[in-house]
Amino acid sequence: MKLDTSGLESTAPLFGANTVLFDGFKDVPSFDVPKTNDFDGFQKEAIQMVKPAKGTTTLAFIFKEGVIVAADSRASMGGYISSQSVKKIIEINPYMLGTMAGGAADCQFWHRNLGIKCRLHELANKRRISVTGASKLLANILYSYRGMGLSVGTMIAGWDETGPGLYYVDSEGGRLKGTRFSVGSGSPYAYGVLDSGYRYDMSVQEAAELARRSIYHATFRDGASGGVASVYYVGPSGWKKLSGDDVGELHYNYYPVLPSTVEQEMTES
Amino acid sequence: MTKQHANWSPYDNNGGTCVAIAGADYCVIAADTRMSTGYNILTRDYSKICKLADKSLMASSGFQADVRALQKQLSARHLIYQHQHNKQMSCPAMAQLLSNTLYYKRFFPYYAFNVLGGLDTEGKGCVYTYDAVGSYERVGYSAQGSGATLITPFLDNQLKSPSPLLLPAKDAVTPLTEEEAVDLVKVVFASATERDIYTGDKLEIVILNANGIQCELMDLRKD
Amino acid sequence: MNMVDSAQPFKTLLGPESDSQRTQYPYVTGTSVVGVKYKDGILMASDMGASYGSTLRYKSVERMKPIGKHSLLGASGEISDFQEILHYLDELILYDNMWDDGNSLGPKEVHSYLTRVMYNRRNKFNPFWNSLVLGGVKNGQKYLGTVSMIGVHFEDSHVATGFGNHLARPILREEWNENMSYEDGVKLLEKCMRVLLYRDRSAVNKIQIAKITEEGVTISRPYALKTFWEFNAFKNPTVGAEGSW
Repeated sequence: MKLDTSGLESTAPLFGANTVLFDGFKDVPSFDVPKTNDFDGFQKEAIQMVKPAKGTTTLAFIFKEGVIVAADSRASMGGYISSQSVKKIIEINPYMLGTMAGGAADCQFWHRNLGIKCRLHELANKRRISVTGASKLLANILYSYRGMGLSVGTMIAGWDETGPGLYYVDSEGGRLKGTRFSVGSGSPYAYGVLDSGYRYDMSVQEAAELARRSIYHATFRDGASGGVASVYYVGPSGWKKLSGDDVGELHYNYYPVLPSTVEQEMTES
Repeated sequence: MTKQHANWSPYDNNGGTCVAIAGADYCVIAADTRMSTGYNILTRDYSKICKLADKSLMASSGFQADVRALQKQLSARHLIYQHQHNKQMSCPAMAQLLSNTLYYKRFFPYYAFNVLGGLDTEGKGCVYTYDAVGSYERVGYSAQGSGATLITPFLDNQLKSPSPLLLPAKDAVTPLTEEEAVDLVKVVFASATERDIYTGDKLEIVILNANGIQCELMDLRKD
Repeated sequence: MNMVDSAQPFKTLLGPESDSQRTQYPYVTGTSVVGVKYKDGILMASDMGASYGSTLRYKSVERMKPIGKHSLLGASGEISDFQEILHYLDELILYDNMWDDGNSLGPKEVHSYLTRVMYNRRNKFNPFWNSLVLGGVKNGQKYLGTVSMIGVHFEDSHVATGFGNHLARPILREEWNENMSYEDGVKLLEKCMRVLLYRDRSAVNKIQIAKITEEGVTISRPYALKTFWEFNAFKNPTVGAEGSW
């Protein structure tokens, strides 16, 4: 006689399906999928319940000296600001950065995953992965999950053997090479400033200021963006964080409060 | 085929509020002990705080069955870790493990809102805060659960912790002493209990420092 | 990562399980169970009715059963699912017994097991449609807990399922104490069951009270509670509510 343990069979085993302790970690994480006929409906409902953080401004552009990457730091759930300190620029490795727009967990997890893959590439080939290659790795993963509700809008920026690289990758499977991108709800505002101020032959200082100003103006007009404007620069020797400024304080740098002239003295009546 | 979830939902919200504050050499983790469903109080004495390792504590609210499954999963993983490495997992490691564990259920999420508190490898207090599908960040303090929207703005006001993203960097560690932090936690919970029906009954405060773990209980309103 | 692996979730989604029909609603159901700790152990009460929709279809269903040597299980909800759970537990206890090592499963273990069974079934979108109450005594330790159909579980000194949560637990919170005698415990449970009988339409006046102590389980013979239906509020429920029927 054998004990019927079918009621105890978990749909989320410790290490993927039906494995012993030392099967180790599979390189592909195994996901638990709800056994429902209406996957889309469930997904919609479930994601509504956990209320993902939304609203972002991120941008990146290539110029003479390398790549500039910048982002705000706000996360909001509907009208509530759930965080003012989100790290939307993800440091994949010392030469590559990713940006975060859409689902915070989706971006964070898959960038972490990409970081692992890039390191494995380095170990296998004794050379760093190209930005082209890395972005394609990410795009391929996201494409394989297409239609399952992932929400990712990211830019992969870095410096490789061919110089600066910049790609836009999203969860619908899109992957675009370019020199100037902005992603997120504040992107129209950021593009306005960025496009009008962009020149290829800027200095690093000028470029950083342009990026900071673009983010600032986006946070000024887009309620879902705000917090801290972070600016990174990627050059031949890897990335470096150039600045992180509270946009509330930036406002008074751009628009200093002038001592107003008193137009009329109040008089006792 | 008619509608699938006509009569039952695989999720429930059992309420509860969790708060964690990190200091220079301590960490305070607190949660109320009420468990509810709808307008019903199921029990007044359910601990939401779980010790995952010597220097990591997790407080969770949301759907109790998912929370328990998550705690069991993490405990099991930590046991394996101990067997393989012959040491306790560090708090930052546990933080990433929790993130990954939550994300593996991305398509059938754990309805659990967690804060992880502990001491990092340098003995500094650390707090990690999560969403239900695993995005996380290290912060100086955090509130999660049904009373979070009441407590977070108050903590923002009192602690004014500078953003860790600022450059030049400012020290993000909470300026309070351990005693002040514990008192602050008591005050915020008493306040949240006044306005949140899912918070109340009792407050469990766990303090983690170089001396180990101390636990404290305080009564809250029971209505 | 290769494409085969990444396509895995879709395979499970379209697997043989997903197109099979499952019970998405209960057929024959029992109503509340109430349990309390008392001086020497646990007392539990339930009625013996089982409804088929709004019809009181069966009137002699035992909804409290002993599990092993130290535990007592009471159930509300789908009766067939309860019987399936009893089946699981029978095998569990038998299998545990076959070690013949002198160890036996206590109420804590059984409750933990039930918790996992209920939660894993909800994960399969095929829940057992029950709320369970598990009480027991082992090594002088009293234990009382519940599990819901989606796996929510807890311990307390008094518990109730369904309507009992609304009607019985407020009474228990008011009147219960840890050192109650057996007689007082039974009186308290009868008071709860009477209130439930008055206000829960699927409750019937044929109840059992079960006791578990270090000595073992005893389940009382079915009996009826004395009732009094002449309250003014019963005779004329809408008095003072002008315009109502």
